[in-house]
Amino acid sequence: MTDGDEPPAILAEAVSKRYGAFTAVERLDLHVRRGEVFCLLGPNGSGKTTFLRMLAGYLAPSAGRLLVAGHDVVRDGLAAKTKIGYVPESVPLYSHMRIGEFLRFMARLRRVPAAQVAAAVRRVAELLALTDVLRKPIRALSRGYRQRTALAQALVHDPEILILDEPTNGLDPRQIMETRALIRSLSGRHTVLMSSHILSEVEKTADRAALLLDGRLLGVRALADTPDLEAWFLSVT
Amino acid sequence: MNTLVILFRKELNAAFVSPIAYTVAAVFLLVLGYTFSLTLFSTKVANLNYIFHQMYVLSVLLVPVLTMRAFAEERRTDTLELLLTAPVRELSIVLAKFLATLVLVLGMFAGSLAYAVVLGLYGDPDWGPIYSGYLALALHASLLVSIGLLMSSLTENQVVAAALSLGTFLMLWFSDSVAYLLPPSFASLAVNLSLIGHFKPMVSGSVFLSDAGYFVSACLLALFLTTRKLAER
Repeated sequence: MTDGDEPPAILAEAVSKRYGAFTAVERLDLHVRRGEVFCLLGPNGSGKTTFLRMLAGYLAPSAGRLLVAGHDVVRDGLAAKTKIGYVPESVPLYSHMRIGEFLRFMARLRRVPAAQVAAAVRRVAELLALTDVLRKPIRALSRGYRQRTALAQALVHDPEILILDEPTNGLDPRQIMETRALIRSLSGRHTVLMSSHILSEVEKTADRAALLLDGRLLGVRALADTPDLEAWFLSVT
Repeated sequence: MNTLVILFRKELNAAFVSPIAYTVAAVFLLVLGYTFSLTLFSTKVANLNYIFHQMYVLSVLLVPVLTMRAFAEERRTDTLELLLTAPVRELSIVLAKFLATLVLVLGMFAGSLAYAVVLGLYGDPDWGPIYSGYLALALHASLLVSIGLLMSSLTENQVVAAALSLGTFLMLWFSDSVAYLLPPSFASLAVNLSLIGHFKPMVSGSVFLSDAGYFVSACLLALFLTTRKLAER
């Protein structure tokens, strides 16, 4: 399949984000295909989170054009937001709620019809093994369950595109393997755009990866064509 | 509209699981009950004028405590990122927080209706100033809540938000006091900005459109600025 066969899930054209004199993302061009797992790879401070936040509609680009499922995130922001599920790196949750209550709230907020909310919550609870803890208060959750709950809220409206900022951050090895397996299982049905600064993580999860450094895109590679990711990383940085 | 209702319910639930709302309401009603009993037994006059002024002062002191968390806490815990990346308009988020906090404050005020009932049962009060007094309090509360939300949207520190709100309320309260120090054009502005200057006539039964207009327009301005602040990112 070539890039021209169907409209991309995500299209960035010369996207920049500036804070005064500081440029967090500089003229970034990116094309993410539908159904693939795409990873933004780069060290801390390379602009990954800023770019993901622009895609999710939390930050506005200073320049350039950013399309999500064909919707411009600036001009048609609400429509773009209905197409995405987003898990920020800090895994924010409402600690005064119970898991089920939180998922129902997020489902309603993400425009799941009222009659389908219960089924949507059941579906994601089963997918993320949360069924037995739906009545548990969020404030009492371990890091692993917090991450699962955050993933569940991002999937509850069955979005076309899933945006995950450092999804395995702070998880133990078993939870990391489970999260990787989950992300792989979502590919095809969902487009997954994730960020990571861990090479082995990218190798085991992504179909393609883009390397960012100081807000600039250094290259994009298909993982199948890149047997030695570390060598590629070292050659371009 | 639907989103506004969903967010409003979430805000109201959040308020009732926090001890802040209960503590503020308890302090408010305790002080008010004490003042009412004291005033009634010492003056033996069947009006609520003194109580309304007491409620004015208490709301200036206590509303910052109710509004300080609104945006500051959402920023601190990053949950604002969840809200702003959902298909929700910034205006809905602001209005939901505004309405939920206003319902809390008006609920506290409603506790004082018991005093009006007592006066009605055992005296012969002039009901006009009581009705206009409650109207004044509702408008006053709307303005305080909207300014409190604006201050909360400026910081992620709750204490800073509360201090900014309280400072703004006090400046508005006493703005007419500095009028005599200012040139005539600025003096007029300072007098017209005064919270108490627009509150007093209504509490004594004189309802002027200019007073109601002050509260409504200043409230709308604060809500507009809060929405702009939220959209600025």
